[in-house]
Amino acid sequence: MHLADNGHHGYGPAAGELLFHVEGLSFDYPDGNKALADITFSICKGDRIALVGKNGSGKSTLAKLLGGLLPPRKGSIRSRGEEIGPSSRAVPRRETGILFQDPENHLFCNTVFENVAFGPMNRGCSRDEVDELVRGCLETVGLAQLMYKPAHLLSYGQKKRAALASILAMKPEVLILDEPTANLDPRQERILQELLAGFPGTLIIIDHDLLFLYDICDRAIVLADGRVHHDFSIRELVSSQDSLKEHGLDFTFRFACCGGRHETTSIVPHHHHHLSHDHGNNGVHVPAVAREPILELQHFNYHYSDGTEGVSDINLAVYPGETLAIVGENGAGKSTLAKCLLGLNQGEGYFYYKGEKIDPRRRQVLWRQVGMVFQNTADQLFCPSCREEVAFGPRQMKLPSSEIEKRIEEALHRVQLGGYDHRIPLNMSGGERKRLAIAAALSMHPEVLLLDEPTASLDPESQELLLEILKKLEMTKIIITHDMFFIRDLSNRTIVMHQGRVLRDYSTPDFFADRHVQAVNGLDYTYKSDCLEKIMDLQRNHLHPGG
Amino acid sequence: MTEALPESAVSIQLSVPASILPASLVVLSLAFLFALLLRKKKQSRKKGQSDWSIPHLDRHADLDSFFHNWNPAVKVASLFLYCFLVVSLKTLVCSAAALMISILAVYFSKLPWRRSLQRLAAMSGFLIMFLLVLPFTSKEQPGEILLIFPLFPGFPFHLNGFLLALTIVVKACAIALLMEPMLGTSTFSATLQGFSRIGIPSPIIQMILLSHRYLFVFQQELVRMLRSMRVRGFTARTDILTMKTMGNFFGMLFINSYDRTQKVYEAMLCRGYRGDFPTFHTQEVNGKDLAKGGMWIMIGFILLLTELMPSLPSP
Amino acid sequence: MHISDGVLPTTISMAAYAATALGAGLSLKKIRQEDLPKIAVVTSSFFVASLIHLPLGPTSVHLLMPGIVGALLGSAAFLSITVGLFLQSILFQFGGLTALGANAIMMGLPALFCGLFFQAIRGKTLLRNTLAGALAGGLGILLAASILAAFLYTSGEDFIGVAKLALAAHIPVIIIEAAVSAFTVSFIFRVKPELLHSVLR
Repeated sequence: MHLADNGHHGYGPAAGELLFHVEGLSFDYPDGNKALADITFSICKGDRIALVGKNGSGKSTLAKLLGGLLPPRKGSIRSRGEEIGPSSRAVPRRETGILFQDPENHLFCNTVFENVAFGPMNRGCSRDEVDELVRGCLETVGLAQLMYKPAHLLSYGQKKRAALASILAMKPEVLILDEPTANLDPRQERILQELLAGFPGTLIIIDHDLLFLYDICDRAIVLADGRVHHDFSIRELVSSQDSLKEHGLDFTFRFACCGGRHETTSIVPHHHHHLSHDHGNNGVHVPAVAREPILELQHFNYHYSDGTEGVSDINLAVYPGETLAIVGENGAGKSTLAKCLLGLNQGEGYFYYKGEKIDPRRRQVLWRQVGMVFQNTADQLFCPSCREEVAFGPRQMKLPSSEIEKRIEEALHRVQLGGYDHRIPLNMSGGERKRLAIAAALSMHPEVLLLDEPTASLDPESQELLLEILKKLEMTKIIITHDMFFIRDLSNRTIVMHQGRVLRDYSTPDFFADRHVQAVNGLDYTYKSDCLEKIMDLQRNHLHPGG
Repeated sequence: MTEALPESAVSIQLSVPASILPASLVVLSLAFLFALLLRKKKQSRKKGQSDWSIPHLDRHADLDSFFHNWNPAVKVASLFLYCFLVVSLKTLVCSAAALMISILAVYFSKLPWRRSLQRLAAMSGFLIMFLLVLPFTSKEQPGEILLIFPLFPGFPFHLNGFLLALTIVVKACAIALLMEPMLGTSTFSATLQGFSRIGIPSPIIQMILLSHRYLFVFQQELVRMLRSMRVRGFTARTDILTMKTMGNFFGMLFINSYDRTQKVYEAMLCRGYRGDFPTFHTQEVNGKDLAKGGMWIMIGFILLLTELMPSLPSP
Repeated sequence: MHISDGVLPTTISMAAYAATALGAGLSLKKIRQEDLPKIAVVTSSFFVASLIHLPLGPTSVHLLMPGIVGALLGSAAFLSITVGLFLQSILFQFGGLTALGANAIMMGLPALFCGLFFQAIRGKTLLRNTLAGALAGGLGILLAASILAAFLYTSGEDFIGVAKLALAAHIPVIIIEAAVSAFTVSFIFRVKPELLHSVLR
């Protein structure tokens, strides 16, 4: 009987067998927070759904309801004749697997094997079955060789895949992924994308990255304020710039400057100066620019305590006022280099700040001049109010309180958080927290600002705001990022890292012309820009039908 | 810790008891171990290793040795009992013998010495307190030997107290050294299964497993948080601002961990968790395992019975 | 400070083991089963927090936090502390395996007591909560040190001096712990007060 509803509620290949039917579903949290209101839609077998919407629009709640982790407050979810209504207890459904954002939460056993085996063992599979299943799943995600490693020794991308394998081992029919691309570098993102494209079952993906979703999904459900605003094909979503804007998904700001035609970026003739191999033979580095560098590394090496190489033979000069982008695949040594530039990693070689050699005792001085914004905001915010957060640095510098007051105001305004003084950082949105972290660094009046992956796991709207703010900051900036659009818009110089070395050091336009280096690093700018091209075409057609 | 004692001391009674010889031997060997340890520590300091790294207990669980080829349940059970037997020892001689046995055990387990030495270092503070305090504060007994230092006539050095402290130190070292062969020679989950076989209820074993896993997650979180505090100018001092910052820091850490509990629990539910961590019973216990266990327990009892023989001096 | 192997007489460490088993057993009975994994995860954060050393003049001290664990976990604190101490013992040798029972009593009982104490006096204002946090934090260490001294005292007359010293050595820790606990509680009260209602009890 409910099959008849299919036509009314949403788009979907008619051929698919109905898996879920959600009818009038509402949910509010015990603290009174309304998450979902009167949601109705159906999911058929083989659907590939992009679940999008602003932060707080109820996406994750919907995912948990579908997965059976929360009971509906009102309305019902029907699945294969079984009905889950407000009275039923929440029991996770066998046929749905949810991959949450943080893979650490999925990896609660010691080794990778034990983690993947947990699900099948709970189902009472025999030892041989479990063994075979685990091996199969780990091979699918390409981690077979790490089977007996403890989970904490894996890299982030590997953890993500191990978590996916542990879900796949449950053989779910419906796979729900909550922000699968968050914090992944382009190469890992590509691997994940291929894995998901090859997944035979039904997919529901919550993400902000439409470029990622576009290729995998065919249907888009847009949530806003707990309601389904649109339920249509993903082509319709990406082609309508208005609805993208409305839901904070508009990523087109990224190519506003050059009309989406990145290929046309002209190649400016440029002098490649002092790479690791071509400096003067007397060991003196002749700077290409006549200014004194603000930060300089010469013949710098860093090894981790376990002996593996962090960065080697780095020769890098950062000049006042420039914006330097550092790119490279995960594990290329970008963050390690940033920590070297902060003096947190002490390697061998020469490290100068404004011509002065930096040793461990002088790091305190360095930290007043170089502000750092780490990738994970959660690690940086530890005060009960925004005001105290921003005041932390100046207080440690023992500034007079009138000066501290002044700096708080100024820093909060620069990141457009004016009036947030008494808000609790923990309860703010991801974008606001990132900006607060930047304000906390700005209040120390640094001469250099180092940002590690500032856009990671932000929604496009917050990214756009962040870009605006960063553009207005006039100090020297060093930005580690995978985000090609940020590089192009912000930086005038790009260094490419690979296996702990600086592979290229050139102007940003040169970098964009260098397809080869991008391919080596798995940066895959080409792929994304092709995707973008397609989407742009769709949008143009949408605006001027037939034109 | 003990270097200046015998030479500079003037003894009131010149008759040196027999127990001073093994005692000085033990002191020497302990001093050697700690010297080794200090050198290692200095080396690692140079490389700038963080002090909060959590050891990876079963890193060398895939070797092949007497301890590795022993059923974890029997191993844990018998060595645990053996530890209690060693704790019950009262004489320095037998304790020293136990220490020797433990040193041999580490040697035959083929495990690197570093971790065992780290364990000794972890206890050193507590034990040195005993070595320094007991000789001067232990109760006077009739006929006891007192050493009076020339500079501190008011603080007589009780040889008995010193021997008691030394016995404690030696026993503690003997047991600590046995920990690596006992716990580091099977995979962590197998070892814990061993503990569950000797009576620790399985919900607690599950909690231990989970806690152990998330130690690493929170440890990394903590290192990152401290780092971002440092680059914002934070230096730990003995002042109220430091306490406040640390208070905030701990608060944040606990709040993050609470948030994580719910998420982990949901992830567990999604994978069919019904209140039990499923396990397959690993190895079967064979006669050899039991024989090894019997041997250790016997060694323990032999040490204990030797003490009861009247020929040995007791402090 | 943790008691290491070989200090306490076997009878006392066995008795402490029995008492700990009883306490943990009661805790297990009282706690809902679905809360066990949650307590385990929180336990690891307490464990990690106790690894941090704060400078105290020329030396440094690490926090023991029985008070704050009690305040946050209530009756689950004993179980949490036992699990944490087991891990500290097998990973770091902080406290011997044979002395685990004694260590669990030494830290767990103060935690339970401080939990009740904290809830009784904390009231509804930030100031009262902060003060209650300070008192619970300081009291936790005081009780733990007293139990340590009592264990040493019952082990024989020879240990009286050590017991006194151990008690004295904890005085600065009491002060630091009280201050840090106060700030921790005030932070949690301002940011996420529901934690202080002990969701996991």
